[in-house]
Amino acid sequence: MAPVPMPSALTFELLAKCSVTKARAATLHLPHGPVPLPIFMPVATQASLKGLTPDQLADTGCRLCLNNTYHLGLKPGQATLEAVGGAHKLQAWPHNILTADSTGSFQMVSLLKLAQVTEEGVRFLSPHDGTPMLLTPEHSISLQNTIGSDIIMQLDDVIATTSPDHARMLEAMQRSVRWLDRCIDAHAHPERQNLFCIIQGGLDLELRRQCTAEMVARDTPGIAIGGLSGGEAKDAYCRVVDTCTGLLPEKKPRYVMGVGYPEDLVVSVALGADMFDCVWPTRTARFGNAITAHGVLNLRNATYATDFRAIEPGCQCPCCRPADAKPPGLGLTRAYIYHVTAKETAGAHLLTMHNVHYQLDLMRRARDAILQDRYPAFVREFFAALYAGDRGKYPEWAVVALRGVGVDLLRE
Amino acid sequence: MTQPARLDQLPPEMLDFALLKTTGTLAARLGRLSLPGRSNILTPAFLGNTSRGVLPHISPDNFRKLVELEGVYMALEDFVEKHPQKTPPILQFDVPDPLRRFVALPKDTLVVLGARRQPPIATPMSNTNAEVTLSTSVGFRSISSEYYTAAVRKLQPDIVVGLADIPYGQESIGLKRKDKMSDRTESWLRDLIAKRASIEQGDPRFSIFAPILPIDRDLQSWYLEHLVDDMVDQISGVAIYDAYLLDDLPDELHALPRLSCHMPASPQELLRQISLGMDLFTIPFISSATDAGISLDFTFPAPQSAESDSTPRRSLGVDMWLAEHAVAVTPLTEGCACYACTQHHRAYIQHLLSAKEMLGWLLLQLHNHAVLSSFFAGVRASIAAGTFDADVAAFEAFYEPALPAKTGQGPRVRGYQFQSADHGHAARKNPKAFRSLDELAKLKAMHGQQPNRKPQMQDVIDDEALVGLVQMEGVDPAVQLESLKVEDADGDDKA
Repeated sequence: MAPVPMPSALTFELLAKCSVTKARAATLHLPHGPVPLPIFMPVATQASLKGLTPDQLADTGCRLCLNNTYHLGLKPGQATLEAVGGAHKLQAWPHNILTADSTGSFQMVSLLKLAQVTEEGVRFLSPHDGTPMLLTPEHSISLQNTIGSDIIMQLDDVIATTSPDHARMLEAMQRSVRWLDRCIDAHAHPERQNLFCIIQGGLDLELRRQCTAEMVARDTPGIAIGGLSGGEAKDAYCRVVDTCTGLLPEKKPRYVMGVGYPEDLVVSVALGADMFDCVWPTRTARFGNAITAHGVLNLRNATYATDFRAIEPGCQCPCCRPADAKPPGLGLTRAYIYHVTAKETAGAHLLTMHNVHYQLDLMRRARDAILQDRYPAFVREFFAALYAGDRGKYPEWAVVALRGVGVDLLRE
Repeated sequence: MTQPARLDQLPPEMLDFALLKTTGTLAARLGRLSLPGRSNILTPAFLGNTSRGVLPHISPDNFRKLVELEGVYMALEDFVEKHPQKTPPILQFDVPDPLRRFVALPKDTLVVLGARRQPPIATPMSNTNAEVTLSTSVGFRSISSEYYTAAVRKLQPDIVVGLADIPYGQESIGLKRKDKMSDRTESWLRDLIAKRASIEQGDPRFSIFAPILPIDRDLQSWYLEHLVDDMVDQISGVAIYDAYLLDDLPDELHALPRLSCHMPASPQELLRQISLGMDLFTIPFISSATDAGISLDFTFPAPQSAESDSTPRRSLGVDMWLAEHAVAVTPLTEGCACYACTQHHRAYIQHLLSAKEMLGWLLLQLHNHAVLSSFFAGVRASIAAGTFDADVAAFEAFYEPALPAKTGQGPRVRGYQFQSADHGHAARKNPKAFRSLDELAKLKAMHGQQPNRKPQMQDVIDDEALVGLVQMEGVDPAVQLESLKVEDADGDDKA
């Protein structure tokens, strides 16, 4: 199919490139305001970020969050979204929204064999009443047009990266390209919503290269690398990201879907990725886990019952910032989080705020480092803090991946 | 009436209660509770009823930004679960004003501390001469009067409710037991006063509210006599456990502020207590309405109704679970100035409840507290204007007598929030999340982004991803192919 020139509702302003790694700093101008890249996007699956008000979410620094197309299509449903005037109005969020449905729910559904993928679309049973449903690329785009999100994602055919079935992998990759064409055709508001393609191809680098070439030719405003973080080995993940970013145009945002842990973000940025999303920071918050520069603390552990330090001393989130700071924070202690976590919903709200702030702040600091062209030093500092300076504990995959872009963590 | 002369005779950190208007002994009254450093509280008023130090669903930052409350009630039993095996953490928090700092309460919010939550949960063990039984999140514990006093001294609340010996959950109480109630309460209060006297000049002191037991005056006369004769100068208020015994209150205690420990079930009951001269309340029905998904919807005085007597009475709340709100882009209550009503609409709140998103409860909780704040402002204005009795009558005629019944599902209920006696026979408190082990194992295997990579993720069920999978178990998609309906008619022939 011939490439269709596509209008874009974004401007990608590249500000700096790391002189060693493939890391980039940019500002992405979206319909609801600019966002800094690299960026972590928290996942407000059902149009709400786990108990936080839109104001609290904005206070963490977030200007771009995710909603899940599939979930919003079920609840509140397209008719309601239409009546209310889209997802921004539904949740009173004045900033940007990205809608996706492939990383989480659909992948799960297909893995569970609860859905069937055909050329038409994805067949599954409505969780409400068990009636058979068919989600097509056209329907997905129509739903996202109604949602009114600033970035919309194509419907893609995702199978587990770990699948040994090469023929099926090839089919999924090629189908995703065909579905992208259907999505482009169906897209009603290219002037105000940015459609991103999703590169598939599992862990097969050749398939990824083919898919990348096909999709780049279609010239969508942004490009996502999909199908990852489904249980594959981290080194395989890094090779895919590295391969794809190597083939992508410089002047477009690159979004790696479903990632993740702080070390994943730091390494993926070095490999040239700009945007990330993951439910882990907010989900783990509800289980009492706080993300810090020195690792994850499970604040439900009794040792924290009498730990009167801040969750992470020096952290500037509203929970950790001391009460006498300017502007004043809450000055909460680990002991207090222990006291309320998993017992009061407010405990979950507090840790959610802290964790989202941590992820956003990590990307902010990464961006500053890239702008000052000291990203390799930033990466070293990050791993040194996370593993308390013990290089023996550095994960092999991260060492290898970073070595590939010119940073040897094990040598000064 | 007002006693401004007393003010300058008091030590600087003492609580002052000025009666601004009284209309008789058993009648509504206006007052002002003031304590240096804290917001003045105009009474009648209500305190935020906290659970584990937070107003349920409202994190401390939101409490500061979005809630207008001058005071809160906290229960010691929410903080002492490891007692006596371990010193409760909060008692090891070595900073000035540890309770307030621990829960990040603003400096100007008045803190009233009692032993038990409001309402308290009945305990299987009874109180003894020396000890009161508490219900903590990890089980039942007993504390002595000495322990209570020491804890209170350490935690530095503004007001402490003296220990009361009340056998909660007992259907009927024998005469002898009632005697004991009065004896024990008397000796515990005496103890609290004596211990406070030992606090050195300059160290933070707390004010004491004396419990008035839910038994006839004759049966606690010995206690009340001592209260009036020996302790009246040492107490700053009374905590009333049965509002309908207010006429038994000795005259000498009339000028003191009255905290109701008699939980009102409805706004009408609140009004009845106010009309008997009650000043301060904790109102558990606010949070229970929130948890039930009910948006409170009443004002005092009631709106002027031009309608005839035959029109049905208005409901006190709106069940936000109902699908009829799904596309309503209107506030919970027209004209309400709360965060939920000014920033969001019914459609979103209905969506949040049905999607079981925590934000739904936060927004309802903010709104429901705002409704009560306005209600109390209306009550005070009505008393000041001298129209209170008529306004109460109009309110009772205008609204249904009880809050609407719960239809939707609330947040997960925790053990310290319900009667342990219910364990044996009552229905499940929380719906069953999973069915067979098989299913659970399968779901576990599929959850999360990197199965089994991190131990803390192994047991985590992906609650987001599970939405949509429920009830799809065991259905063979192939079987259903015949009856498939195509959702998108345009899409089926473009390949």
